[in-house]
This record gives sequence, structure tokens and C-alpha cells, in this order.
Amino acid sequence: MPAVCRSNLPRGMTLSHYQRPLSHETLRTPTRRLFLAGAATSMLARARADARPIVVGSKLDLEGGLLGHMMLLALGEAKIATENRLQIGPTSILRAALLSGAIDLCPEYTGNAAFFFHEEGDPVWKDAAAGYARAKKLDYEKNRLVWLTPAPADNSWVIAVPDTLAREQNLRTMVDFAHFVRDGKKVKLAASAEFVESAAGLPAFEAVYGFRLAARQLLVLSGGETAATMKAAADGISGVNAAMAYATDGALKALDLHALEDTRRAEPVYAPAPVVREATLASYPQISAVLSPVFAQLDLASLRDLNEKVAVEGEDPGAVAREFFRAKGLSQ
Amino acid sequence: MPKVHDRVLLALSTLGLAGVFFGGFLNFAPNRLATGVAYPLSQAPSLQAAAAMAGLCGLALLSFARAQKLWSFATILAAALILWGSLAGAGHFAAILMQAGPPAARASLGPAFWTLASVAILAIVDAVQRGDFGFLARASIGAAICAGFFLMAAAGDFDNLSLAREFLNNRGVFVTELFRHLGLVGAAIFFALMIGVPLSVLVLREKAAAGFVLAGLGVLQTIPSIALFGVLIAPMSKLSEELPFLRSLGINGTGPAPAVLALTLYALLPLVRGFYTGFSEVAVEVKDAAAAIGFGWRRRFIEVELPLALPALVSGLRVVTIQAIGFASVAALIGAGGLGTFIFQGIGQYALDLVLVGALPVIVLALLVNLTFEMLLGLARRNL
Repeated sequence: MPAVCRSNLPRGMTLSHYQRPLSHETLRTPTRRLFLAGAATSMLARARADARPIVVGSKLDLEGGLLGHMMLLALGEAKIATENRLQIGPTSILRAALLSGAIDLCPEYTGNAAFFFHEEGDPVWKDAAAGYARAKKLDYEKNRLVWLTPAPADNSWVIAVPDTLAREQNLRTMVDFAHFVRDGKKVKLAASAEFVESAAGLPAFEAVYGFRLAARQLLVLSGGETAATMKAAADGISGVNAAMAYATDGALKALDLHALEDTRRAEPVYAPAPVVREATLASYPQISAVLSPVFAQLDLASLRDLNEKVAVEGEDPGAVAREFFRAKGLSQ
Repeated sequence: MPKVHDRVLLALSTLGLAGVFFGGFLNFAPNRLATGVAYPLSQAPSLQAAAAMAGLCGLALLSFARAQKLWSFATILAAALILWGSLAGAGHFAAILMQAGPPAARASLGPAFWTLASVAILAIVDAVQRGDFGFLARASIGAAICAGFFLMAAAGDFDNLSLAREFLNNRGVFVTELFRHLGLVGAAIFFALMIGVPLSVLVLREKAAAGFVLAGLGVLQTIPSIALFGVLIAPMSKLSEELPFLRSLGINGTGPAPAVLALTLYALLPLVRGFYTGFSEVAVEVKDAAAAIGFGWRRRFIEVELPLALPALVSGLRVVTIQAIGFASVAALIGAGGLGTFIFQGIGQYALDLVLVGALPVIVLALLVNLTFEMLLGLARRNL
């Protein structure tokens, strides 16, 4: 796979093209008449489409599968017909599918909106509530996509070290880690190219905590998969003793890794929230009330727990989601 | 000093022994992600391990036997013994280990198992070719092995293996994804034929165009598949935005449409080249002779050129189909589904057995298609 991850791409985006939002400039092009005729037809098509089940999509990764199944279950409980298009691809593909109307509803992370709208440098994304409000506003104005109530969790980038190292060197937070690096101790971090290059990734950590990792202290993997980086740190492959991970990663515990706390908030908040097309919400206004109690239950600990069941125990995400619904009294 | 009559068999049995002595047979880990402990074949249940070893020794001895139908049968039996021993041994061994381990424990097949299984299958293929078995005999040998495998699977012999767990976890979507995969391949071959046949006619009629067309298709072929899939997303999205009827057909930047388009483009070169070489290699003398005895162009085409070109056409189609089966795995990255879904999920979760849930069927499909085309090729040649 070519390394197409560039710093302006959201995490998980491995393909360089994704659909641009429809802008009003389109109407001034020579194909305006064709477009208007098309819009009328597609509105008709949409009116018919609304009688159809809600198409639910999600990312290819594990948490995408879990959150997607949660949404399918919740809608099923509310007697709303759904179509399962879960785990269709990386972030870019899911986004393109949502914008083109190929899917109606999917989970998305607030931090990714920073990339969708090219506002990575803005500190607003580091605040859960403000970042969510900004994502909601921008996506509705530009794309008529509605962000529903987010989960009280943050699946942001973290750096994780083996438990043994954390205990020996007393590494609990990123402040400790920065000291550790500055003291010239042996550090080798396994991370994706995106994390290393993106302004919101490693450079943000380095700037906020005041440390610097040299090129020889990095093992860069072009794909964005945390499973590989965590495995490298857990097994000490190529001398790696630190790994890029996601805060809600289910494998942290199983691989005896400790996620270093981002006490000074260097990273954007990645709170998962359901995102739905306005037209779909208009014909099923109850979606919001159906999904919000489910997402309200998904805090960091529960998400880590659920992810662990799938990642480590290899359980079926659908079954894990059903079990969670039973345990939390979300199913009748 | 006895003479070695079957070097392939000797090489295979040596390879099998090396695999058994140097590779782990079963890998046992406390959970799906942890690095486990490798257990050699010698620690597997003794009956099955002994059967596999006996089969392996049998193969080594049989490499000294002359090529005769009887010895071919013996080879197949020895190979079947290896297959049974390694399959049943792995299943049984996994059951024993899992009983003692934590509930999240995983027993994965190790290199020794995969070496034994491939040695056995290759030995069977070799024996069938040497013994010059007829179609019926080949089919029944294949059917017997498949039946044995499915009977063992149905009896739950493999249920404790990690690979089976991954498969059972995904059983619901497996069939859907398998058919999606086949659908992508089928659609791509269909469109490739629709475009490729007229293109081949053009290339054959206008020799001047041949170099140009083939070079153009050659350039397409060199684009890495992942890049072609990615590059198609933007124009296809644009197209479906502009043409609502396309959108109402479900054609947009992601999903099956760009995947089929990319697979079709990849299929064109081998297809057109196969057609081109097939027809242009029919000797001019033959065509002249046919014309001389009064054949019209239609009769000449159907009775002379087509049968002579058929082997090249069939092998062109074979290459195209096998290639499409493999490339279709990448389609999972652009939302088209297919068996690649499991492969990419598995890579993402570092779950190699989940990767195999996607990869093994792709391999089996490619082998089946190859076998089918080989038979067709045989028929095409026989009819000459």
C-alpha cells in the first residue's frame, strides 16, 4: 500500500481522494440546467427513498463495527427498518458514502471534523463540548448533515508503554514521558506515518510537553493501524518500547500496555457521535431520541471494555453489542 | 543404491520433514493478541501425529517406485494419511489445550501444519498427473477429500481452532461477502468481454491500431490496484452528482461501481492480448487453404480460425478471471465488500486467522477457476 497518508488527512484515511462537499458554486457552472433538472429528479428520488430503510454505515475498524451494531440494534428496538452497510472502508470512503447519500447514518469522531473542514490548527477541537458544537455547525451548514448527541468518551491518540516500563520508571502521564525522553533514556516509538507527520499528532505532543524524538527513535508504519504498533511495543520488536494507540483501544490491557495520560490536552478530542443526513432525520425524527440514551452509556471505560471483547476475545461485534444492550437495560 | 523415480515426491517429503522438525505445529496463546507458545508435532495426540509421520515416510519411500497406477494410488493414500493426521491432530490438540487454558485462549495452526497440508495436497496433485487418471477418477478423488474435510468439520473436529472461531464469528456475513466477491468478479469479466471483444476485432482488423491499443492497456496494467481504486472515486462521485439516473441506480464514488470499473480495466489487457495472439497466430497457409477449398469468411472463421485460436482465448480468459479474483480483495477498501473485508479487518486487528478467513477462500476460488479452465483448455485442444 502506498504511503498516501498526508498531514491534512484525517486519521484512518488511506486514500487520497474523497468527495468535496457540494457548494453553491456548482450552480454557476455551464451544467447548471442539467444540475437543476438532476436536483429535481433526485429530490423525487429522495422522497421515495425516505420510505426505504435507513442505511447504516461505519468504518472498517473494530470500533466502527461495534458502534454500527449499537445503532442498528437501537433502531431495531424502535421498530425502524435498517440496512446494514457496516465496515465499508476507511474514514475517507465512509465520508464520501455519507455525502453522496449511499448511506444515511454512521458514527463519526468530532476530532475528524477538524480535518474535513481543514481547521486542524484551531484549539477549539481540544475541547469536547466546543469541538462538538463546531463540528455540528460546520457539517450542517455545508453538507446538511446532523451530528446527534455524542458519547462521553474520547478516542484520541495516546502514547502507550509496557506496564513493566511504566512501573520501573514511574511513567504515568505524558509529563513523565517527556522527562524520560529528555533524560536521554532509551525510547523507540512505533507509530503510523500520519501520527508522526500530522500537526495534531506527535508534533502536538512534542510542543505541549517539550520533548523531541529523533528519527532513529521512531519506527514508522505507513498504515494507521494501532494493533501493529501496540504489538511491536508489547513484544519489543526492533527495540520498540512505546506505541501510538487510541485511548479506547481494547488491546491495551491484554498486551499489558499503559496509556500515558494527556494531562495538558495536546490532542483534539475524538468523541464518537452519530451523524445523519438531514432528509433521513426529517422522515425519522425519532432517531435522535432513540440513539442518545445508547451513546450516553458509552464512556471511555465501557468502550475500552467492549473493544477488548472483540479485539482480544474475538467475539462477534453484533453479539457484544446485544450483550451490552441487555446489561444496560437498553433492550426490551 | 535404489534409483529415485519421483524427484518431486522426494522433495516434498523432505520439505514435510523439515517443516515438522523446525516449525511449530500449533501455537497456543492466552488471548487473540498475545504472542503464544509454539508446540511441535511430537506433543500432539500420538495417534494422529504418528499417522502424519507414517504418511510422510510413505511418501519418501514411494519416490523410489516406478511411475505406475498402483503406486500413484499408494501415494494418494499416504498423502491422505498426512492430511487426516495433521487436520485431526490439530483439532484434537487444540481441544486439549483449550480445556486447560483461559476462555479467551487461541490455538492457531503453525508452520508445521501448513507445510504438512500443502505437501499432502501437492503430492496428490503430482500423483494424479503421473497416474494419468481420467476425469472421473480425478473428480472422485477430489470429492472424497472434500467430503472427508466437511465431515470432520461437521463433527466439530476443528471447533477449537482459532481459524474456525474466526470463521464461525463471521459466519453470518461470510456468505454475503463471498457472493459479493463473486458478483464483482462476474460483473468485471462480463464488462471486460463486452469491451474487449470489439476491441480485439479492431486490433485484428487494423494492425496499425494494435500497437497503440496494447500499449495503452499495458500502461493501465502497471497502475497499482489500490491507486486505481482510489483515483476512480473522485470522477465517479462527480459523475453521479451530475447524472441523477446513475445515482438512482446506486452508482457513486464508492461501493461496487468503481470496483467493477477498475477490475474491468485490469482485465482488458490479458483478454485483448489473448484474443490478438490467438487469432493472429493462425497460420496464413491454413487460412489460404481454407479459402482455396471454397470456405466463405464465416465458415472459415467458425470452422478453422476459431478452433485454432480457442486455446489462446481460453487461457486469456483464465488469466483474467484468476487475476480479478485476487484484485477484487482490494475492493473492500472502497466500500464494495467482498472477501477482502475480512483480510483488511484482520490486518487492522492484527488477527492473522481473520486474514485467513478472507484469504483462504480467495486462494480456493482461484484454484477452482484454474482447474475449470484447465479442463476447458483440454477440451479445446482435444477438438483440434
